[in-house]
Amino acid sequence: MTTTDPQPSTTPDRQAAGETLIELVELTKMFPGEPQPAVDRLSLSVGRGEIVVLVGPSGCGKTTSMELINRLIEPTSGHIILDGEDVTEGNPDELRRRIGYVIQETGLLPHRTIAQNIATVPKLVGWGKGRVSERVDELLGMMGMDPDTYRSRYPKELSGGQRQRVGVARAMAADPPVMLMDEPFGAIDPITRERLQNEFLRLQQQIQKTIIFVTHDIDEAIKMGDKIAVLRDQSHIAQFDTPENILTNPADDYVADFIGAGASLKRLNLSRIRDLEVTADAPIGSLDEEPAELLRRLGASDWSAMLLLDAKRRPSRWVTMGDLRRGGDLSRVGLEARALVEPHATLSDALNELITSNGGCAIVVAADGAYQGIVDLETIMAAVRTMREQHSAFYLAQKTSHGVGHDSRQDEGR
Amino acid sequence: MTFFDYLTNSYDNLFELSLEHIRLVLISMGIAIVAGVPLGVTAHRLKFTRAPILSITSFFLTLPSLALFAIFIPIFGLGAPPAIAGLTLYALLPITANTLAGLTSVDPSIVKASRGMGMGSYSRLMRVEMPLAWPVIIAGIRVSTQVVVGIAAIAALVGGPGLGQEIFRGIRSVPNANAPNLVYGGTLAVVVLALLFDAAFVLIRRLTTSRGIR
Repeated sequence: MTTTDPQPSTTPDRQAAGETLIELVELTKMFPGEPQPAVDRLSLSVGRGEIVVLVGPSGCGKTTSMELINRLIEPTSGHIILDGEDVTEGNPDELRRRIGYVIQETGLLPHRTIAQNIATVPKLVGWGKGRVSERVDELLGMMGMDPDTYRSRYPKELSGGQRQRVGVARAMAADPPVMLMDEPFGAIDPITRERLQNEFLRLQQQIQKTIIFVTHDIDEAIKMGDKIAVLRDQSHIAQFDTPENILTNPADDYVADFIGAGASLKRLNLSRIRDLEVTADAPIGSLDEEPAELLRRLGASDWSAMLLLDAKRRPSRWVTMGDLRRGGDLSRVGLEARALVEPHATLSDALNELITSNGGCAIVVAADGAYQGIVDLETIMAAVRTMREQHSAFYLAQKTSHGVGHDSRQDEGR
Repeated sequence: MTFFDYLTNSYDNLFELSLEHIRLVLISMGIAIVAGVPLGVTAHRLKFTRAPILSITSFFLTLPSLALFAIFIPIFGLGAPPAIAGLTLYALLPITANTLAGLTSVDPSIVKASRGMGMGSYSRLMRVEMPLAWPVIIAGIRVSTQVVVGIAAIAALVGGPGLGQEIFRGIRSVPNANAPNLVYGGTLAVVVLALLFDAAFVLIRRLTTSRGIR
C-alpha cells in the first residue's frame, strides 16, 4: 500500500502553498496614448490562504496590477482565473462583491455609520437585516472595537487606526475568499501601523483568507508576506519567493538593492516571539500578596526585580527588594511594567520594545493581556545567532549545488 | 395715510399676494430642480456635455430679466406661464453648477472604494455621490431661490402673479400720495419672504444632511 505523506512544511507558522485560488495569466494593460504597457504580461499564482505581497518602487505598476484583478481597470489582454473560473469577462460588479477590497485612504463612506459602512457588501448581495447586524457586531468584535460603542458612530469620529480597522472589517463583511489590500497601513503613524500589522496577522491565522497585498515598503512585505513578488518596471516580476529566500538569496542586483542595507536586521522580522524559548522562571507575584512573602521569593531567585501581576494576571509593576521593603501600595511602588509584546510579534518588535522598556526585557502576554513569560536581550541574541548559522548553511548549500563550492571559504571566514 | 395705516389696511391683500408669490417661486424652483440637478449629473458623468451645459445655463443669467419674461409672451401669452418659464431658466445655473461642483468634490478614494465593493453606477450615484454632494447642491438651490424670490417681482410686468403686482400698482399711481406705500409694502413683503425661505433652507439642510458630513 502506498500513501503519499503530506509534505512537511519548513515554516510551520506560515501556510504552505496549497491549491491555487487566483491565477493571473499574462495580464497586460495598455493605457491609450502610452507607448509601453503599464502592466506587461504579469503571470502569478496565489495559493488558498496565502498572503502574497506585491512590492516595488512607485510607478512599477503594482497598484495597477492589483486593480486589474478586481477589474477596476479592465485588462487589455490576459486572463484572471478565480477558483478555477475565468472571470476576465462577465459582470465586474458581481466579481468585486466576491473580492474584499481595502485601500490606503480607507474610502469609508463619511455619511454612513460604521455599521452601515461594514454592511455595504452584505446588503448588495441581499443578506437579511438580522444576519447583517449580527455580522457587523461580530466583525467589530474581531477588530477589538466594542459594537455598542462604535456601531452608530460616523467615520470622522474615529481615529486613523480605527478607520483602517473598519476598512478591513468592511472588506471581510460578506466573507469573500479573496482580499486585495492596497497599502492598507500606509497612511498610519508607525506605532499604530505596527499594531495593526500584528493584529491583522493574528486575524489571518483565524480567517485564512487569500490575500494580495501591495506595498512599497520591503519591511512590511517581509513581515506580512507568505510570499513576496518583487516587481520592477511594468510589473515584471524580478523575484517571486518566500521572504526568507528573497533575503538570503536575492535573484539579482535589482532585488538586492531593493532589499537594501540591513538585511540582517530585516531578518528579525521573520521570526516571532512564539518561535523563541521565553524565560518562564522570572519571579512573579501578585498585587494582593503580602510584601514579606514577595520579598522571600525574590530573595530566593537570582533576579534583582520581580514582576507583579494584577487580578487578571496582567503585568502591572516591576519591584525591587528595596521597593518591597519600603512598603506602601503595591500598585504604586517600583516601575510600571511596560514593553508588552504578544506571541505573534516579530523579534524586531520585541527588540524595539525592549530598548524602551524599564526592566531591560520585554514581557510576553497573551491576547487578553495575561502574562506568559519574559524575553531579554540574551534570548534575542541567541535567536539571531541560530538564524545566522542556519542561513549561512543554506547559502553554502546553494553555492555548492551551483558548483562554486570553493568560494565557500570566504563564508567560513566570517 | 402713513405706511403703518397702509399696512393695517392692506394686510389681507399683501398676505394674499405673498401666497401667490410663494406659489410662483415654488413652482419655478420645482421645475428648475427637476431639470437642473439631472443636468449637473449629466455634466459630471459625460465630460463632453460639461461645457455646453454650463455655457447655456449661464447664458440665461446674462439676459436682462425683463427680456427673458417678454420673449415667452408669444409662446405662453400673458400671466403666470411666461413668469414661470423665465424664473425657471434663471434658477437653473446655480443648481446645475453646484450639482456639478458637489459631485466633482467627492473624494475619489470614496468613489474608488465604492466601485471596488461592487456598487453599480446608479447605486453609487444615489447612495454615495449624491448624499456627499448634497450640502453643495442645496447651497445652489438656496442661492437660486433667493434670486428667484427677488426677480419674481418683475414677472408682474408680463401679468405674473405675486407681490410684483403691488409694487407696479404703486409705480403706476405715482402722483398719488399712497404710491410709495404700495412700493414699500410690496418690497417689504418680498424681503420677508426671502428671509423665510432662507430660514427654511437652513432647516432643510440640517434635516437632510447626514450627521457624518455636517
